[in-house]
Amino acid sequence: MDNGKSIPIREGLWEVNEAGEIALIGSRCTSCGELFFPKKKNGVCTHCQGRNLESVRLSDHGKVVTCTVVYQRPAGGFYKGSVPYTYGVVELPEGVRLMSLLVSDDLEGIKVGSKVRLVIDPLFEDEEGRQVLTYKFKVV
Amino acid sequence: MRHVYVVGVGMTKWGVYPDKEWYDLGSEAMLNALDDAQLEWKDIQAVFAGSVYQGTGSGHQAVKEIGLTGIPIVNVENACSSGSSAFRLAYQAVATGMYDVVMALGMEKMPKGPIPSTAFRPLELEMGFNVQFANYALASVKYMKEYGATEEDFARVTVKNRRNGALNPYARFQQPVTIEEVMNSRMVAKPLRLFHCCPLADGAAAAILCSENKVKAKKRAVSVAASVLASGVYGEEMYMCGMVESVKYPPKEGIIEISAKEAYETAGLGPEDIDVIQAYDTMAPSELWDLEKLGFCAPGEAPRLLREGVFDINGKLPVNTDGGLMSRGHPLGATALGQIFELVCQLRGESGQRQVKGAKTGLAHAMGAGPNSSVTILVK
Repeated sequence: MDNGKSIPIREGLWEVNEAGEIALIGSRCTSCGELFFPKKKNGVCTHCQGRNLESVRLSDHGKVVTCTVVYQRPAGGFYKGSVPYTYGVVELPEGVRLMSLLVSDDLEGIKVGSKVRLVIDPLFEDEEGRQVLTYKFKVV
Repeated sequence: MRHVYVVGVGMTKWGVYPDKEWYDLGSEAMLNALDDAQLEWKDIQAVFAGSVYQGTGSGHQAVKEIGLTGIPIVNVENACSSGSSAFRLAYQAVATGMYDVVMALGMEKMPKGPIPSTAFRPLELEMGFNVQFANYALASVKYMKEYGATEEDFARVTVKNRRNGALNPYARFQQPVTIEEVMNSRMVAKPLRLFHCCPLADGAAAAILCSENKVKAKKRAVSVAASVLASGVYGEEMYMCGMVESVKYPPKEGIIEISAKEAYETAGLGPEDIDVIQAYDTMAPSELWDLEKLGFCAPGEAPRLLREGVFDINGKLPVNTDGGLMSRGHPLGATALGQIFELVCQLRGESGQRQVKGAKTGLAHAMGAGPNSSVTILVK
């Protein structure tokens, strides 16, 4: 993956441990237990305003809560991935939901309740010819 | 707090104006409101100007078209609740006794094509999460799953509102559409089709608010019973601005429920007392769940009531009598004041063919990315 020809869309969104397992990195409030993704930079829990958050590796699998297929390129030029594309909300077993791009071998095959697993996939190629990688969840 | 009255409203026809700027539209709406109120420009003591895409000093530009007089002008950007937020600031300024006569303005000249919403963080924009019809599609999928609502139910919202819009000379679209036309329009984000989405438009609307002692024509004055804004609560699902629901700590009430409850309490009225409603049909399904969250019916009940004609102009609870966003079009900063314009006309009995007989109370609800939920209750 890291052959110098690819870069993550942002640093710190995911990490690979010694066993080679990929995980998204979030925050957990040590006061109320609420989970956040991405990791909260200012260390403040937006639920209880606690100031003690710890970094956590989140589960690499979950289920689709809701999803949609977008058939036209979003306005503004910010999104440089392929179209059509699917995104939606994924719930992880520890009790946190996040918005994510969704992939499947069959674009229409992603449904509410589908079991999905984390993948790191190219989103687009930047001006310097590097693959820009991002997290997605893929139907298993 | 003093009683506050709307003594004049003004609007431009909403549409596409390649040869006009937002300040042309904004000044036209303000002049129309002045004429409606039979007031002079020098009577206006402050202007609150709502817009989203017009940039710094946009209200000043509109006022410059009529004349700067040394009064304060405050620009208000609160996404699609900008117009109602400007209205609320005008209401507060009069209610607290700071001013007697204040202008609330909403205006927008829309960028071409789908809106590049910037109510998202850079990473969310790069991930393609800023597609508003897709975010409403995500909410629609959940609503369909939970209550068995169908794409046809959503299409019926468009059909009703376009039928009402055909009676509104200010609307961008004044032709009705059939359920087949909606269902055959192209899919934009499953399950939403093009005709489930409101069209954009350029346009402006204005209202003049005033204290009781300055009301000249009592007969046409409409009382502001409540003007409320709720801007987000922890853990609520608001996909339209990148917020995902909390699993561990879902809120007891969402911002629509919170803003509605405060508005009803302030007005001393309940949903059962409201004669005419302007709901936020930016996407057809949102009219349905918003009506439920505003307390007009139980969760999941709106599709059936719609089918039964309850929300028609001649129904028991008329909704979006002017055609809503579906017909008027959606000039972001102006939209919520366009709703208020229609309520004022209805309560005065000046809505012509789309008049709700004997309407004495009206409620307008607008959402906005951020998020925002604004509720205005007017009483004759």
